[in-house]
Amino acid sequence: MGAVSAAGGDISETLECFAAGRRNLGKVTLFPSSLDYPVFEVHRPLNGPVRYKSRTIQLVLAALDEALAGARLDRNMSGRRVGVCMGTTVASQLNDIDFYQSYRRDGAAPMEPVKSFLKGNLAEVVAAEVQASGPAVTVVNACSSSADAIGAALSWIRGGICDLVIAGGGDELNRIPLCGFGSLSVFSHKPCRPYDRDREGLNLGEGAGVLVLESEESARMRGAMSDVFVAGYGAACDAHHLTAPRPDGSGLEAAVQHSLREAGIQPPEVCFVNAHGTATRDNDKVEGNVLARVFGLDAKVLSTKGYTGHTLGAAGALEAIFTALALREGWIPASAGFENKDDEIPIGAVREKTAVAGQYAVSTSLAFGGNNASLVIGRRT
Amino acid sequence: MSEQAREKELAAIRAKLKELLVSNLNLEGVKPEQIKDDDALFGEGLGLDSLDAVEIVVILQRHFAVEIKDMEKGREIFRSVNTVANYIYDYKEGRK
Amino acid sequence: MNIAGMGIVFSRGRGVAALEQALQQGWVAPSEVEVRGLTNRLSVYAVSSETLADKTVLAKARRADRFVRMSVLAASDAVQDSGLSGKLDKKRLGVIIATALGPHVTTFNFLDGIIDFGDAAVSPTAFSHSVHNAAASYVAMTLDVRGPTLTMTHFHFAFHEALLLAGAWLQEKRCDAVLVGAVDELGAVMEYACGQKSRPAKDGRIRPFAFSSSPETVPGEGSVFFLLTGEPAGAAYADVVSGVFEPGASPVSAGLMLPDNFGMSGDESRYRDAVAGVARAASYVPVFGSIMTGSAFHAAAGALVLKRQMCYACPVQDNPHGVNICRETVAGPVDNVVCLRLDCRGHGKTICLKH
Repeated sequence: MGAVSAAGGDISETLECFAAGRRNLGKVTLFPSSLDYPVFEVHRPLNGPVRYKSRTIQLVLAALDEALAGARLDRNMSGRRVGVCMGTTVASQLNDIDFYQSYRRDGAAPMEPVKSFLKGNLAEVVAAEVQASGPAVTVVNACSSSADAIGAALSWIRGGICDLVIAGGGDELNRIPLCGFGSLSVFSHKPCRPYDRDREGLNLGEGAGVLVLESEESARMRGAMSDVFVAGYGAACDAHHLTAPRPDGSGLEAAVQHSLREAGIQPPEVCFVNAHGTATRDNDKVEGNVLARVFGLDAKVLSTKGYTGHTLGAAGALEAIFTALALREGWIPASAGFENKDDEIPIGAVREKTAVAGQYAVSTSLAFGGNNASLVIGRRT
Repeated sequence: MSEQAREKELAAIRAKLKELLVSNLNLEGVKPEQIKDDDALFGEGLGLDSLDAVEIVVILQRHFAVEIKDMEKGREIFRSVNTVANYIYDYKEGRK
Repeated sequence: MNIAGMGIVFSRGRGVAALEQALQQGWVAPSEVEVRGLTNRLSVYAVSSETLADKTVLAKARRADRFVRMSVLAASDAVQDSGLSGKLDKKRLGVIIATALGPHVTTFNFLDGIIDFGDAAVSPTAFSHSVHNAAASYVAMTLDVRGPTLTMTHFHFAFHEALLLAGAWLQEKRCDAVLVGAVDELGAVMEYACGQKSRPAKDGRIRPFAFSSSPETVPGEGSVFFLLTGEPAGAAYADVVSGVFEPGASPVSAGLMLPDNFGMSGDESRYRDAVAGVARAASYVPVFGSIMTGSAFHAAAGALVLKRQMCYACPVQDNPHGVNICRETVAGPVDNVVCLRLDCRGHGKTICLKH
């Protein structure tokens, strides 16, 4: 696993940040904008190959390095059956505003941005970097992109299509979604407060999460069996609205139940839930009610978006990684930003660093567009 | 400002609003003059939704130089064409 | 997987009947558009507004752009075409959409807002429609799809990967049926970029069998959807599966081979080796136009070939390399169709359809 976000440049920095309850947010510095919402930027140099101008690609390659090292795999994976499945929002669009402004103004624009765009399909870039020759898919599913990428990877492995899949996602902090989400009135002017009674909206973040998923057979043959694994995945669409979740949460509930069935477990076996928890009024209310229904009022719930912001295409993967780490380390951090329980949400989030003991945990994602995803992460004892 | 002048300006605001609602919210098959001043914009009346609500915020910004900072307050202001027009008028007159 | 139903929206109209008529008619002249920044008018195969007019199917798509409308119509038609509309369990129906460029027209509209009005006064409607997954969201809303929905993007193989994942979903019983589709649209900025980076065909004809090192294009747009089931059902056009083609491998043996070269990916000479010696080949790209997810359109044509047991004549028959191409529309047994797509490095994927 590899993780880069405002919480840390790698896993160990991230855990240290979680333990300290530190929230690294501030004003936008990466580009000029008249918007002054607080954001979670990655303040560290990204040292990937200079031919990749895309910041999203740089973030992903940084996380990829850590993940490959952890999996004890060479960068050259050409001898293996490897697939790549990566989620993103920003990297999929030709949204270079200077290019477009030039075209609008002059009827002409340099073709460099177009060439970069056509060479910049995220999964294709990662596949080329590791010489993977299996399927390579870039998932663009809004906020559940990388959770769905992990789900697709699971399907490939179970279907015998691949032995290994590099799965995850990334998104840089970018002016376009900053303006866009601002126009949807979903931002808070303060540090976000997931599940809190007084929450006012989300903070945007950036980052990348990469997991190396491997079939048990391949891992055993390599002598590289991991202690954590993806036990189940469920996804279901609300079919309700482009930007608002279905109020009764039935899509999320279906996704969660499917993931539990696939993992072969019952709700009491889940020792905590890493919720999507964006801190918007709608998301947390719908999600919180579903989690209470499925896991009971005593369930331990947290949102790590208080430490990373909403990292869009990276969120699902980062949160799956945080879930796996928590199972391994035996603790979850305080759900940063949560102080007072909301009467409309039957469940509150954890207010302090909390010990967890168990084999399974769940990570949920609710996307704009209505897709809901749930991942069950397991730990071998 | 006299009552007559006030009503004349409000009528102009209402007319412009209706045109903008039809064009910017892509209300196919609806003519601006068909929208009644007091009809509910959301729910049962014109049937607008939460995405339209934030779009109306932008319409007000771009075409009337009116800012809505608080979407909760927005809910009351956006009840009908009349309530929106009155808010625009009062905002411009510095009463809000 | 079984193709239980098909839907298509393209420059020649909407629906399987329009596809059949277009394949029988052959090549027609594209329309011409003025593109700011290009000296000459550009030939394109554009979907007409009449084709997109359907208040019933698009009842929930008031704010939707053309990208979404093309998708919703094609997806809805695929379900109708299958005859399975009332029988599908919507909780076990999934949607996978493949696109190369996404809704770029709306993305640029959104950028207009930033440039003209500033960061704080942009349109939330434009933003929420500028993301690739907007189409899947509308397809789900229109058809009340409650299973998994996923949008994927790649400049060459998006549709192939969509088919692969649909097969996995059906095999693991995540879904009983999957709507798999492709969609890509035309737009001024994209047309400008095409005009700069590729060679627009002056006479409006794409010549696939020239296998040129600098081929000519006629940009096109549209959407294709298959309703896929694990077992034969519905209209049962053909079985379909996507596969891998290795460079240097022996030519694919097929009842009919459809190379997917469409003029926008540079040197097409590597297609020549793959197609040489094949019993029968055809290309219907000159009917659809150059579309990055064009493999889906070829697959739809291939499915119709198998259903009708009819090899349609190539719409453009320039054939300097002497490939065995279909020169006339001929009825007769066709057992399988293979669509072959190669990327710039010569790696390839296939869509294999079987009667």
